[in-house]
Amino acid sequence: MSEVVVIQDLEWKYSNTKEFALRGVSLEIEENSFVGVVGANEQGKTTLISCINGLIPHSHHGVYRGSVQVFGKEVREQDALELATNVGMVFADPESQFTAMTVEEELAFGMENMGFDLSKIREQLDWVSDITMIGDLLDKSPYDISGGQKQRVAIASVLAMNPPIIIMDEPTSMIDPLGKQFIFNILRRLKEAREHTLIVVEHNIEQLASLSDQMLLIHEGKVARMAPPAEFFDDPAYLVERGIVAPEVTEFAYRLRELGQFSADIHLPLDLDNGIEITKSVLDRQHS
Amino acid sequence: MAAITPSEPVSTSTQEIHTKKMWKTLVGHVPISSPFYQFHPVTRLYLFVFLGVVPLFIFVPEINFLLVLVSMALMLWGRADLRGLRIYAPMVVTVAIFMFTVVILAPGKDPTYTPLHMSLITIYYQPVFFTFAAYWRLMAMLSGTILYFSTNRERDMLVALRAVRLPFVASYVIGLSIRAAGMFMEDFRTIREAEQARGLDTKAMRISDQVKLYVMYLVPLFSIALRRAEEISNALFARGYTVTGRVKGGGQRRDYIRSLYAIRTRDVIAIVILISLFVGAGISNLFFNVFVITDSPLNIYLRGVLNIP
Repeated sequence: MSEVVVIQDLEWKYSNTKEFALRGVSLEIEENSFVGVVGANEQGKTTLISCINGLIPHSHHGVYRGSVQVFGKEVREQDALELATNVGMVFADPESQFTAMTVEEELAFGMENMGFDLSKIREQLDWVSDITMIGDLLDKSPYDISGGQKQRVAIASVLAMNPPIIIMDEPTSMIDPLGKQFIFNILRRLKEAREHTLIVVEHNIEQLASLSDQMLLIHEGKVARMAPPAEFFDDPAYLVERGIVAPEVTEFAYRLRELGQFSADIHLPLDLDNGIEITKSVLDRQHS
Repeated sequence: MAAITPSEPVSTSTQEIHTKKMWKTLVGHVPISSPFYQFHPVTRLYLFVFLGVVPLFIFVPEINFLLVLVSMALMLWGRADLRGLRIYAPMVVTVAIFMFTVVILAPGKDPTYTPLHMSLITIYYQPVFFTFAAYWRLMAMLSGTILYFSTNRERDMLVALRAVRLPFVASYVIGLSIRAAGMFMEDFRTIREAEQARGLDTKAMRISDQVKLYVMYLVPLFSIALRRAEEISNALFARGYTVTGRVKGGGQRRDYIRSLYAIRTRDVIAIVILISLFVGAGISNLFFNVFVITDSPLNIYLRGVLNIP
């Protein structure tokens, strides 16, 4: 697999702050992988993804050092149209990204910018409406639907443009539990299709861990850890020190491992099913 | 008559939405089903221009009153929410009070004015009737505007503007402005409700304090508006929008929403009639001095009764 995003020694400081928001970030993201980005608030997650989609440095003023390459080309050298073709961005507040009067227009807007012809727009519209389950919302105003529906429309509007890289900045932060589940289901379908590189900033660690190929922890503007989920959560104490709480099932197994109840070589579980499986095998072994 | 025809945009949600009666827009409500939708949005725009501008050529209050009735009748035919008209009642009354108070208290000095002695005050016929005519001109324009916004969604307005070859960027700015106005009102309501939730009773306040309060609202409202402007700017950037309208590949920008509407024979006929009436009214007034205040039957009658030459 090739790397679609390569960041080297990236430093960024907003013009209105004294401290650097990013300090020497270096990382690589593989094509069609799913990267879960976590970190406490104000640690640089949104700043980092803004560097990938080009909002930094194109729409913000500040000090920029290092290199961010998307598909081998410096982000600084790409214009809005080229960047939007490569990188789609779903913002935390869906309403802030709506610019049209109906959901249908909202979906069509990005595709019109991409220069799609009408039949292609129609085809993409049907596809995203289906995958995000918003077919019954097309005629409605995007301001007149529920929070979960708004977020689905926001995702659909980016998906419709079919960018190879899709970034989502806390896509479930403003919606109810059922709405969150809808969004994670969409993410799961996208991951299974393996047609997009997905970079998702999210506080719902448990759901994110089960989807991610790589987990990325940003702490104080630096990459504190980047690893596959099993490895990433292997030392929950390290994560807690950096403001991240591992999934409860991982924490449960970790503590039992620390108490000597689980052997030191077990892989900590990331979800409930995996946790039950590990616990059951340990109990079975003890009984036998 | 079927209210929905193929000239109306068809989407997967149409059937579901028709179980409801009204669509919410950023500036009010429009009917979900209306005979108006048989016409292309550009035809509706021409009707708006006709009803909104023609009163400028007409200074006969009876004709402007008729135009108000025409607008009301069209609202009824178009299934607009007539109950919503109640919100305009205070404005209609306030404008009348303001206009007539000014003209009664400060009629101006002209020796040709005819004084009419009432019990306590003296009013002058000519400025009062002139104001009466101007008031109905204003009402005719207002009712045409209300008709338009009661039967057209924002999307129809934008399609109409693009159909008359307004550049995409200009129609987009208009769309964003309509949106911004709606969100500004929404933010204002949120701030007011937050204050009321914390026990602020504006009704118990003196007028001067209420004025101060409204001035104070401007600070949060403008800071929210600035933040939203930045967010929208970021969103446009993220979706590859360029002010020049350039699209990937350098080809022509496709207009998907506009492609959902078609101009039909009935639109052409309606537009020709509206333009003919508009040009006819303009030429009659500008070159043949028709539709002037002296043509008003009411004016003629009152002058006769009051012996005004």
